[in-house]
Order: sequence, then C-alpha cells, then structure tokens
Amino acid sequence: MGPTPVLDQFLVSLQELVQNRDGAKVQDFLQLEPPLSDIYQRMIGELRQSYAPGPKTEAALLQRCEPLVPRSKGGGSWTAFPVFVKLYLIFLRDMNTDNLLETYNQLKVLLNQCVLALGDSQMGVVVLPTVLYLSKILAKLAMGLDRRPDLIAHIRRMEGLADQEESSEKVTLVEKSANVVREAFIKCLTDRTGTPGPHGKPEGKRIGIYLMANLCLKLFFQCGKLRNAEQMFASISAQSPPLAYFPASQRVTYLYYLGRYLFANNLFFPAQIALQAAYDQCHRQAISQRQLILSYLIPCNIMLGRFPSQTLLQRPESQALAKHFQPLCKLIVRGDYLAFRQHLQFGSTTAEWFAQKGILFTLRNRCEILVWRSFARKVFMYGGSWGGPQAQAQKGPPPVLNLKKLAAATEWLQAQHATTKSGTMAASNLYGSQVVPEPTDVDYAGLGGADGTAGPTTDEEILEKYGDFLGPDGFYDEGGSPQPNVPGQLIDGNPEEDYDDCELDPYAYDLDDRTEADRFTMMQEVESIFASLITQGLMGGYLLHREPRFAIPGAKIKGILPTGFPNVWQTISARESHDSSVPGWVQSRAPTGLGAAGGGRVVNLSPEPDQSARASSHISINNVFLQFHVYDTDALDTWFQNQRGHCPRNLNAKSNPAFSIPS
Amino acid sequence: MSNPTTQKNDATEQPQPPQKPQVLEEDDEFEDFPVEDWPQEEAEQTASSTANGGSEHLWEESWDDDDAAEDFSKQLQEELKKVEASA
Repeated sequence: MGPTPVLDQFLVSLQELVQNRDGAKVQDFLQLEPPLSDIYQRMIGELRQSYAPGPKTEAALLQRCEPLVPRSKGGGSWTAFPVFVKLYLIFLRDMNTDNLLETYNQLKVLLNQCVLALGDSQMGVVVLPTVLYLSKILAKLAMGLDRRPDLIAHIRRMEGLADQEESSEKVTLVEKSANVVREAFIKCLTDRTGTPGPHGKPEGKRIGIYLMANLCLKLFFQCGKLRNAEQMFASISAQSPPLAYFPASQRVTYLYYLGRYLFANNLFFPAQIALQAAYDQCHRQAISQRQLILSYLIPCNIMLGRFPSQTLLQRPESQALAKHFQPLCKLIVRGDYLAFRQHLQFGSTTAEWFAQKGILFTLRNRCEILVWRSFARKVFMYGGSWGGPQAQAQKGPPPVLNLKKLAAATEWLQAQHATTKSGTMAASNLYGSQVVPEPTDVDYAGLGGADGTAGPTTDEEILEKYGDFLGPDGFYDEGGSPQPNVPGQLIDGNPEEDYDDCELDPYAYDLDDRTEADRFTMMQEVESIFASLITQGLMGGYLLHREPRFAIPGAKIKGILPTGFPNVWQTISARESHDSSVPGWVQSRAPTGLGAAGGGRVVNLSPEPDQSARASSHISINNVFLQFHVYDTDALDTWFQNQRGHCPRNLNAKSNPAFSIPS
Repeated sequence: MSNPTTQKNDATEQPQPPQKPQVLEEDDEFEDFPVEDWPQEEAEQTASSTANGGSEHLWEESWDDDDAAEDFSKQLQEELKKVEASA
C-alpha cells in the first residue's frame, strides 16, 4: 500500500469541517461532478493505486474514514457518516462515464447512505447541503437518461434488463430518484430541533424541508407521478413551519408546483391562489419562471371567469403566451361553441400547444359552459322578451327567453359551420347528440361513410378491413353458446326477403332533414345546458318546461342582464371565498409582518381540523381524474361540488333540470 | 453521444422527427433561481402595482360582449329576426 498524501490531507481537512459542523464546506469538499480539478484527479489516482477493488479494500477504506466523526461520550457515534465517505471515495475511484446507468446506480446508493447520515439527530444537519447537492446531481442524471434512453439501451440489453422490464410496470429512473429524495425530505420535516410543528421557525434540518420537497416535486412532475406527491403535501400541511419563513426562491418554486398539483386535481380556485402568490413573489427578472407560472395561472383564471388583461399580456413573460390565450378568450366571449370546439379540437394546430402543456382537455371541458353562457346571453339580448319598463316597475311577467329561439340559433350556428370541413367534423358527426356531440373516436375516424371520407371500394378491400364484422367466424345462438359459421352455408331466413320497409340504421340522420323528434332532442339538450348553468349560478332565473322558457325574476334592483347572467368570476369567487385555505400551503397563524411576503394578499388560512382528511379524500378521486378518461363525470362532479369545487363544470355533467313552478 | 449509429438511423428513417416534445420538456422545467432570496420589492413589476393593492388590474372580470355591431352579434340578430317573423 503506497503513500496517499492527498487522501490523507483530504480526510484531515474533512474531519476538521465536520468538527466545526460546517455543512456548506463539507458539501464543497465532496465534489464528484466531472470535470474534477487536478487535486481530485490525484486523489483518484492514489485510490486506484492503494485501494484498488479487492476483498479487503472496503474494510481498509472504512478504517481510514472512521476517525472522521468524533467519538461520542454518551450517545452512539455517527457511524453512517464514515460509511458514506467510504462510498464516496469508492464512487470517485470507479466512476465510469461510459456506463451512465452504473454511475446512476452508484450515485443512488451514495445518496441513500448520505440520507442515512442525515438521520442523525445531532450531526445529521451537517450533511444537509451534501444531500441536496447529491440529490440534484442524481435528478439531473436521471432526467437526462430518461429523456435519452438510447444512451443506456445497449447496457440494458447487455444486462438483460430490457426484457425484465417488459413484464412489470416500468419505474423510471426519475421516479426511483424521487423516492430517494423523498426520504431526505421526511428526515428534514420530522427533525425535532427547535420548535417542532407548524408554529416554530425552521431550525436544524427543517430549513431543508422545501429544498427537498421542491426537488422531489420536480421529479414527480417529470415522471408524471403526481399522485405520489399527495402524501408529501399532507405531511407538509401537518408538520411544516409556515412557508413564509423560507427564502423567496423556495416559496415561489413550491407554490408553483403546489398550484399545478391543485390544477391537475381540478381544484382551480385554490390553484389560482397558489399560482398567483407564486407569480407575485417571483423575481421580476426571472422571466422563464414567470412565464411557466403564467401558463397555468392564466388558464386557471379563464376557467374561473377572469381573463388576462392587456397589462398582463404585454409583460415580457407573456410574449409567448398571448397568442394562445387571447383567441381562446375571444371565442368564449363570442359564444360560438362550434368555433370554440374547432379551436380546441385534438390534432388542430391551435390545440397543439395546449395539449403539450397538458391543459387541453381541462380547458375544453371547463370552458365550453362559459361559451354557452355567452351564447345564451346574446340570444337573450337580441331575442328575449324584456318586458319593457312598465312591466318591470309593476308586477308584470318577468323577462323571459323562449328556448325555441336558442334552439333555432343553435341550428343556425350548425348550418354556418356545416360549410367548412372542420366545422362539419365538430358539429355533425352522426353519433349521439347533435347539439353536444361526442368527438369522433379516433379508432373510427377513417371509416368510410360516416364522416364523408372515401371508404374501401372493392369487395376484397372491404373484407380485408371489416371481415371480422362482415364475415365473422362464429356467432352466438339464442342460448348464448358460440356457434361456428360454416362457409358456404346459408343462415336461417329467406335471402330474397325485402328489408326496405325496416329501418336498420339507427343513426340515419340528415342535417337538412330534421324531424320533430330531433327538435325535441335539441330542446332537451338546450334545457339541460340551461339547467346546468343555473345550477352552477352562472345564470340567474328558472326554467319553465311545458312551453320551454327561461325566466329572470327579481331583476328590478340589479338590472335584467346582471341578474340573468351574473358575472362569472364574482359568482365563483363569492362562493369559494368562504373557504380560502389552500391545502398544502402552511400559513402563519396570526397575520404578522411576514404576511407581507404573501404578495400583499391577505389570506386567512387557519388550519382546519378536517383539512388533512379533506385533502386526502380529494386525492382518492384524483387518481381517477388524472387518467384522461373520466367516464362518470356526473357522479364525480356532484361529489366535487359537495366537497368544495364550485368551478364551472363540463357540460356532460348535466344536472337534472330542476324546473320551478312560477308563483 | 456514445451511440452515433442509432442517431444516424433515426435521422434517415424519419426525415421530420417530431422533436417538439423534447424541446418542450426542457422548456417546461422550472429552473432553479440564481439567487436564493430577494425582498418583495424585487418581485413587483412596477412601483405602482403594490400601491394598487395587488393583482386586480392583471385580470378582466367583466368581459361580456354588449357590442351589437360586432359581426357575430349582427348575424345572430338577423337570424333571430327571421325566427320571430316565421313564428
């Protein structure tokens, strides 16, 4: 074993830093990201020479590292730290950037050990900066490798990992890293130093709560495992000191992720509060961060009925956003639901950006009701019976809108759009309702006939494409048993029989050939939409069913339009503000000077006893929400409304029309 | 970087690789701030925004369109007149 002067000096200095509990310098000492400076290269050389991989090397190295920690008088000594330093030295010795997967795995082991060292109640805090440093490198590496799987594909193949992962759910490197970082977060959160719980200022490891949480959240968002963040927010709500005690960079980052999480869970009002606070506290020169915050804050506000002002859209961070959100707002104001749908039709150029941001479906589902409100308002303005000043002054009939006019206006809209191809697609697919049709299922998008595209022409082509339907191998008899179709054998019945009198096509529809039944369906849809708007408070009045009308009573004080079509934002915010707590955001109990850090917005957020219970019950349905296809939106929406959400709901959530009887 | 052959193949097989998602991911990353802490003044856009009491002017609450001369409204009015006449 040769002389190791650099290593000796390294360990002596490190010991001194540990004794002084100088965490920042300890981190600075434990470099491992290439390119490493000359002194580290020399130490690596010494390690390779004197501590080459071998059966006894590890023990020998550990022996070198043990004096790093002070021999404690009473309690147990900090054994996790020497083990960590040993792993660090081995990592340096073996680092091979040609095998990034191996590097990743070693780094994860190293971080794990460092997190163990962090757990020590006396000394743990010394490695807090190191844990953060290693976590960041691990995160960077994991994100890089998940983004470029080709870099490690050959290694995976060699090690047979590729096949192995086919069979089980794939856990990405990013997610694996997040789970390690979460351990560090828990160590920080549960530190008992100083005043624990949500009252005291952060001390000891607790200063790392949001540093670790933010990194963890970044990774969860990166790998799309948002629901894994649920427990983190719940723990923070229960145990963290107020967010206001932490530095601005940590506050802003945390509020951004919290806001996005709430947004993804359809809690738009609290999401708006969190994102607005993030925006308000963000440094004005941090344009890229401000832009990211806005790209969720703006849609959040739009759904709640507030549009970005010119002032906001002219700010530098809005430059790239205005072109996406301005047209959307205009379409909502206009009230043309078909133009709105076309704009957000999956696959259209205008929808692409929203899809990339992950907000397309949310906007499409939540904003269409606002479009209908605008449309209804306009039809009322130009086609309603206002009753005249005399009728309002005395006890005359209230202003009414005959819903036949809305149905006629809707038909007119459909006719307008029928001339353009995409308009036809948005309006007149031939399945389901004509007013609120389902978008064409992509699986059926290429079928001939239904959407006007040319289908296969020859018999061979038809058989090849639809053979499983036209010439199936078998069928089920009356008893439900499968029977084979014997080729060349006729089935029961007379082949010459004339079926012309029987209607075989249940979807035989022609837009120009509306029957009374269609009008009835249309009226039902229109009534449903109105009922939904009334239930949500976005329209004020009642419905009459026999001669379908919408009546606006009690408009004397505020005026007819403000009564019948109240301001959306004011309606929603009035209802939401009774509960202004934001799950996951710990606020100071008493409004102190620090309250100003809340962006000038005074939000009284006394912790509620049922808050964590509520948060977790939200999340149990979030799992359903997070998957794109929510089948039973009605049930979910009703549940939601009961819990909290009074945000505009999608149209599919048709409430049972609650027809009132006029007095 | 270590596997140039794969990259080459990709390039020849797909003349227009859908590169947008990759760019997006990088775009979408919430970068670390270069400084740890700053006073609230440095977050304000202008001196007047605090005086205004916050963010109210950033959002338009009243956006209903009452302009009867606007194209869509005009067409709708005409259409509704026709309905009125035929009823």
